[in-house]
Amino acid sequence: MTTALTTMSAKKPQAGVDLLRIVRINEQIKRVVGVSFKINIMALNAIFLAKRAGTAARGFGVLSNELRVFSQDLRTCMESLTGLIHACVNEVSVVLQDNRLANLFDRAAELAPQHPALLAVLQRRSVEDEKHALHLTKLRRQLKRALEDAFQMVELGGVLAKSAKIEAAYGQSFAASLAQVSGEFDGVVEEIRGSLESLRRSPFFAGN
Amino acid sequence: MKTTKTIFQDGNHKWVAIVRDPQKPNFIIDTNEYLVTHGGKGLVLDPGGVEIFPAVFSALSAEFDPSALTGVFASHQDPDICSSLALWLEFNPGMRCYISNLWVTFIPHFGGTAETFIPIPDEGLDISLEGLMLKAIPAHYLHSSGNFHLYDKVAKILFSGDVGAALLPASMDGLFVEDFDAHIRHAEGFHKRWMGSNEAKRRWCERVGQMDIDMLCPQHGAIYRGADVERFINWFDQLQVGIVSA
Ligand SMILES: [Fe+2]
Ligand SMILES: [Fe+2]
Repeated sequence: MTTALTTMSAKKPQAGVDLLRIVRINEQIKRVVGVSFKINIMALNAIFLAKRAGTAARGFGVLSNELRVFSQDLRTCMESLTGLIHACVNEVSVVLQDNRLANLFDRAAELAPQHPALLAVLQRRSVEDEKHALHLTKLRRQLKRALEDAFQMVELGGVLAKSAKIEAAYGQSFAASLAQVSGEFDGVVEEIRGSLESLRRSPFFAGN
Repeated sequence: MKTTKTIFQDGNHKWVAIVRDPQKPNFIIDTNEYLVTHGGKGLVLDPGGVEIFPAVFSALSAEFDPSALTGVFASHQDPDICSSLALWLEFNPGMRCYISNLWVTFIPHFGGTAETFIPIPDEGLDISLEGLMLKAIPAHYLHSSGNFHLYDKVAKILFSGDVGAALLPASMDGLFVEDFDAHIRHAEGFHKRWMGSNEAKRRWCERVGQMDIDMLCPQHGAIYRGADVERFINWFDQLQVGIVSA
């Protein structure tokens, strides 16, 4: 039992740290979601502009449709990221709440070490702890995978935006405005890419 | 998880109500928590009980960065008000707790250190949230002997703790009071039994009646807005409280 108690105590500070990390990730994802919303509007603008440019921007028109599909996919992807991150915040705060109570029980067990009912409580709690840890591990993996998917998608978006920049040059009298639209698009995609890149490196994913 | 509803916004000055948790077991009284934000900082009003911490924390963090919370305003000492304090502090030990000076030695039983508490004297206190002045308004004996409400004169919102609380049936789960007469039936028993002093109630009605209030936000039930604010104050003024049949 002493070992079990020590293991439980050793785990304790982790929940607080995890919660702080997951909150940081949540903040960054909220920003990325905000930016991806902008992308949708930009893609619509690009389509509109390509239509106005007509045959002069046929290549750009094809790409702007692709960008629109990309922006919609990105939005779906962000929705699933948001759902996962909320589940993580919730799970980690449950663990934090649990640890707080476990702390109190640990202290009680130190004062009344041999009390069988108390030991039973501690045992039951450690089973619960285990369940939470497993659930969190699962969520952490899902979130990591979802971030990877988002990253792959954004890489593709980056390629599309860069091709649109090249196509813009053939847009004759519309070349300047096409270049501006595709440039902005590329800028936003890069911004999201940077955010996702740093999210993937969060120490929250370093655990199992 | 609970839902968040923004009830006031002017730039980064916001009031967010954190309400209604479909997963909450029925034996726990339903509570409303409020988040006030200004200049990137936030204050949680009556953050709730230890049991609902995960629901409140996750709802709040969907809306605002919880590391930017500077503190907690506790209208009084009840467990449904602030028994979650230790958990908030574990997440962010820098948070402060504003509470009546009557309770500053009692609340540490829920958690916190000597540095955590900022006692509010009986006459009230101005609380600054990144330059936004919030006023702790005395509401003693309504129902607790050391009790405060929080007024934001810019947003014209009064957070009124247990005053205005209604224990509503599941069918009446709207955020705002829509039909005052139907609503107040669910508030009457609560106010008669919980509010301790007619004299204190009289003074509160007089004080609050002079304030410019668009929304009166209780800790349980629905929010009063517009003409319903005055309607409530008049109703409360007429009500005889501190009555128990036993
Ligand atoms: Fe109360
Ligand atoms: Fe209450």
